[in-house]
Amino acid sequence: MPNPSIPLHRPSLRPTSSAALLGAGLLLLGLGCSSEQVSHYRVPKESASAPAPMPAMPPTPMGERTGEPSDVPPPPKPKGSLKWSLPKGWSELPGGGMRFATFKTPYAGKLEATVVVLPGPAGGELANVNRWRGQIALPALDEAALAKARTTLKAKVGTVNVYDFTSEGTAKSRMVAGYVATPDGNTWFLKLTGDADPVAKAKADFMTILGSLHLD
Amino acid sequence: MINAYASRIWNVLKSFQLTIVLLALLMCLVLFCTLAQVEMGTQGAVNAYMRSFIVWNQPLLLRLPFPGGALVGLLLTINLIAKTIDIKLSWQKSGMWLVHAGLVVLFAGEFIAGMMQVDTNLTIEVGQTVNFVQSYKQMELAVIDVTDPTWDEVYSVPDTLLAKGGAVAIPGTPITLNVKKFYPNAELANLAPGAPPSLANAGVGAGVSIVEKPVVSADNEMNQTSAFVEPVAGGRSYGTWLVSVALGAPQSFTHEGRTYTLAMRLRRQYLPYAFTLKQFRHDVYPGTDIPKNFSSLVQVVNPSRNESREVLIYMNQPLRYEGKTFYQASFGKNDTLSVLSVVENPGWLLPYVSCVLVSIGLLVHFAIVLRRSLKRRQDKKEG
Repeated sequence: MPNPSIPLHRPSLRPTSSAALLGAGLLLLGLGCSSEQVSHYRVPKESASAPAPMPAMPPTPMGERTGEPSDVPPPPKPKGSLKWSLPKGWSELPGGGMRFATFKTPYAGKLEATVVVLPGPAGGELANVNRWRGQIALPALDEAALAKARTTLKAKVGTVNVYDFTSEGTAKSRMVAGYVATPDGNTWFLKLTGDADPVAKAKADFMTILGSLHLD
Repeated sequence: MINAYASRIWNVLKSFQLTIVLLALLMCLVLFCTLAQVEMGTQGAVNAYMRSFIVWNQPLLLRLPFPGGALVGLLLTINLIAKTIDIKLSWQKSGMWLVHAGLVVLFAGEFIAGMMQVDTNLTIEVGQTVNFVQSYKQMELAVIDVTDPTWDEVYSVPDTLLAKGGAVAIPGTPITLNVKKFYPNAELANLAPGAPPSLANAGVGAGVSIVEKPVVSADNEMNQTSAFVEPVAGGRSYGTWLVSVALGAPQSFTHEGRTYTLAMRLRRQYLPYAFTLKQFRHDVYPGTDIPKNFSSLVQVVNPSRNESREVLIYMNQPLRYEGKTFYQASFGKNDTLSVLSVVENPGWLLPYVSCVLVSIGLLVHFAIVLRRSLKRRQDKKEG
């Protein structure tokens, strides 16, 4: 998981004399000058060369909450809800917002295990896997590379597609993700993300969880 | 009678008393605006206190109306201009003229900055190439034609346009977006059994419930801007989709062999050049965690200028390039991600011009006064 960005220097906060500040008073209505027209750009395909960068202050995308407590009630259990067995030392915390559940692991370090359920195919496996790869700064895959990266695991719920990606660079991030579609049409994502070392330690337990998946 | 009134108003406008009152009001505004930043964030507080004519309904001011920065600034500028005009047009007063002209230029610079300055950021990871900057707060609905294997055709619909609702034609495509509902900020959750159905009948949104939330402006908060939109092309509706910053799952539809994805995201401005982050450094003082230096070594590639060069951007040593200034602003992802704050201000030179004018004006005035003083002393001696 990415570190929260730490502000070092904000030009908008540069020391300003009161005389300069009063100039701000001249700003009449219509500040911002934001265009209200549809703009068009032709750009090189982003997914082919580079993953989408996270914004300076990342939004909280679906199922990607970073562990802060949420004031949203846990989502309702979908029909034919997925169930799992937790290894020793693991516990389940209620989800919130779009997140179905969060797992607390017994391992130290930056590590998070989450369960997200989305209705329907949720954009498809390739697009979602590429989105996850983008989150750890890896380039996108095509269908052939996706098939190569995929391992499968047999569970009671059926076949679980498993992906294990580690980022480049000196401080490596790693993501192990299980992807399974249930007969009610929902798509489930179980993800273990964090620094490479704690993810490596927790992977065996996480694979046990994936192997234990079954329908309610 | 009218002349008497006009004269009285003129006397008030050029008076030092008015200057003192306005400066006192400005000091109060600066204090309140600074305090308000804790709750409202920098931009929210500046908009509420400094960029409004009247400050309304602020808890800090007990919800009482107070003259806003726009009103105080406007009156101060009028006061300054009136005072300048009142100065006698002579060589003896040339220093004062220069000083006042410098201050007017300073005000003009802030006016231009407020009207035209665009603050964005460029977020880049080591090894990554990025050719766009993105807004901190403003959103866009990107309708992206991803059919071509090499290029993406990106059509950006700004949130301000979405907020108006109604039909939005996407020029260059057969698509019209019907904006059925727009939420500046909202919270999403999975749809509960028995809950009213979602307005969306296509994509992920069909199984998602949405609750409108108050807009946030604090620096560490982000609005989860969302909307229900219905793409229509060639007389055919492609269903109603929920698009939201909170939705990570990609959504797309295909019309006449062309595939379009829909993504609500922070507003982007694509650049005719690209940055590749070659190295990010986060140095600390030996034996401590105290930061000593943050720097980004970037490769700037600009095909239109046939340029490819390395630039080191570090704290207080920004890169000024093609009208934009790139500052080292933040970092993340275990020191593999760098955030450059990008400022585009067409009036950035004016404060410097102002400083030069004021400095020269003060020197000229000092020289004139010194000469006069020496002359008087000389006259006294001789007299």
